[in-house]
Amino acid sequence: MKEEKVSCKEVMHHICDNLGEDLDSPKCRAIKEHLDNCENCQKYFDSVEKTIKFYQMYNVELKEEAHKRLLDYLGLE
Amino acid sequence: MDEKELIKKAQNGDRKALAELVRKYEQTIYNFSFKICRDKEKAEHAMQETFMSMIKNIGQFSGKSKLSTWLYTIVSNHCLMMARASKNKTFASLDDEDALIDEKNIAEWKITPQNIAENNELKNLLDKAIDKLPYDYRIVFLLRDVEGLSTAETGQIVKLSVPAVKSRLHRARAFLRNELNKMFLQ
Ligand SMILES: [Zn+2]
Repeated sequence: MKEEKVSCKEVMHHICDNLGEDLDSPKCRAIKEHLDNCENCQKYFDSVEKTIKFYQMYNVELKEEAHKRLLDYLGLE
Repeated sequence: MDEKELIKKAQNGDRKALAELVRKYEQTIYNFSFKICRDKEKAEHAMQETFMSMIKNIGQFSGKSKLSTWLYTIVSNHCLMMARASKNKTFASLDDEDALIDEKNIAEWKITPQNIAENNELKNLLDKAIDKLPYDYRIVFLLRDVEGLSTAETGQIVKLSVPAVKSRLHRARAFLRNELNKMFLQ
């Protein structure tokens, strides 16, 4: 079978996931293989994952007074 | 009581059932609203308007989608309207997908996601970064990556096809990652 070559840039654009390519296509297999062996790409995806985690963990809590203001505004109790 | 029953009662004018539904979703909607507008006062306002819309329109809720999907749609629209009303904001352009990734010299992030609640400095950076992200990208990122909705459900809420959601998501992630990267390496 023909070897597919991919660049870091292509891998970072993660085309399998983003363009709906078949995950078992030669291209996607090449991407996975590249990713397993490329520290540069691993660092990139690690930082993307951390970005998502940060935003997931940054939350605000609805205070009791705000809850009361809401019910009041809605005319509910 | 399960949600379907509650909705039915609410549709028949039961105030207690309405209050119960509000109680069930207020925290989620407030938190999500804050994540879009990054301002507690605006977040509270959008939450209030969202539940007011819910009460007014509950009769038209068909039950085909989840109530949460419906509420996410309403609150996203309210936040979007509020953002459009304050026109003096400028956002980054994410049109050039290629420019979003500089594949050379990727730095390792030493910072790990812990104790964000107490880390005001980091929270500031997170606010700053997402503040530059246009709302149509921001909402997709928040629904899919942060709230964990499916790509299809996200598409339903923002009225985009699944491939369009994926494309926006990809750009939003790359953009936020770059902004934080710049700030962390300063
Ligand atoms: Zn690579």
